Amino acid sequence: MNTASLITDAKARFSHNSAKAYLKDKFSSKLIVAEQGGLWTASPALISFLSVQTPFTIDDNVIVIDNFDNPVQVDGKALLKKLQDTYNTVMNEWHAEWASLESKR
Amino acid sequence: MSRGVLLFAFNNPKFNYYEMAVATARRANHFLGLPVTIVTDESSVPNDCDYTFDKTILIDPDKNNIRDYNVWINKGRYQAYVLSPYDETILLDTDYMINSDTLLKTFDIYDDFCCHDTTSFLMHPGVPQEVLSAYSFKTMWATVVTFRKTERARQIFECLKMVQDNYDHYANIHSFVGGVYRNDYALTLALRIVNGHTDNKQDIIPWNLVHVGKNTSVHRNAEEEFNTEFTVIYDSWKRGKIKKEYITLTGTDFHTMNKANFMELIK
Repeated sequence: MNTASLITDAKARFSHNSAKAYLKDKFSSKLIVAEQGGLWTASPALISFLSVQTPFTIDDNVIVIDNFDNPVQVDGKALLKKLQDTYNTVMNEWHAEWASLESKR
Repeated sequence: MSRGVLLFAFNNPKFNYYEMAVATARRANHFLGLPVTIVTDESSVPNDCDYTFDKTILIDPDKNNIRDYNVWINKGRYQAYVLSPYDETILLDTDYMINSDTLLKTFDIYDDFCCHDTTSFLMHPGVPQEVLSAYSFKTMWATVVTFRKTERARQIFECLKMVQDNYDHYANIHSFVGGVYRNDYALTLALRIVNGHTDNKQDIIPWNLVHVGKNTSVHRNAEEEFNTEFTVIYDSWKRGKIKKEYITLTGTDFHTMNKANFMELIK
């Protein structure tokens, strides 16, 4: 029996809450990046901080606290680029999958 | 630096763990591109198997653990450090369904040892994290452990053996049920002991281990061998009636607690 008929026969209802939680789990892990000797989450807060801070530094060097609470000296521009790329890629995938789940009944 | 996956698989009268290990190994080869070594015993190895592991290591397992009226051969996991032929190893439970290359990321994020300390249950968002007991520590999970052969990693596995050998003593101290040995609990204690009775964030995989609980069933959405799409169905009790609910998964690794369900998925 395929899953489509299994769902129909069982009169199963799509659980939007569980799907939303599952997507958050799935894509939150993809936002984590190991770069320049530290572990980072491509969060709006970190991206904003690097965007604001980097123009005022010498040689683009910034010291940032990573996910392990270690202060790490990084090339701010390079890290910002990596985090922005990761954020955009992951959020696009997340949004696409969320939109397809939202259309389910 | 060599990298690979290590699986422990010993059949019991109820489940064929070797068969589970073969399915997991094929998926590890496909999604992670890593060789797989199996640690097993002579009686578990079938005569006719068309899959060849990178290495097969035969040991004499400790069968002194009973769960749900069945022998549960889960002791001896501490031997992973000595038995692994790789410099860097991902030690996995055989009922872990690999559907992506996510596990490769653990090599980038760890110093020399990492495991999960948080989980999420599909269809049960917001379930509290498991603790050893009401007044003890949050449970670490031995389902996925990545380690490098270093002195500290060796100490962790030696400590795991020490906790296993004195399990009832630690159960008494931490007020958990000691009758059935659990690697998760032993790992929680061993890691804390080696870290000087503190938490070390760098030993933690920074995303949740996804569990499929016992009242939840998973079904393949396609018949192909390396299918990554699954439907998860859950019996939800509402006003004295069972209402079935479902979600679909794509490209997500998960750990199946229901072994019978896992066997259905790999058939």
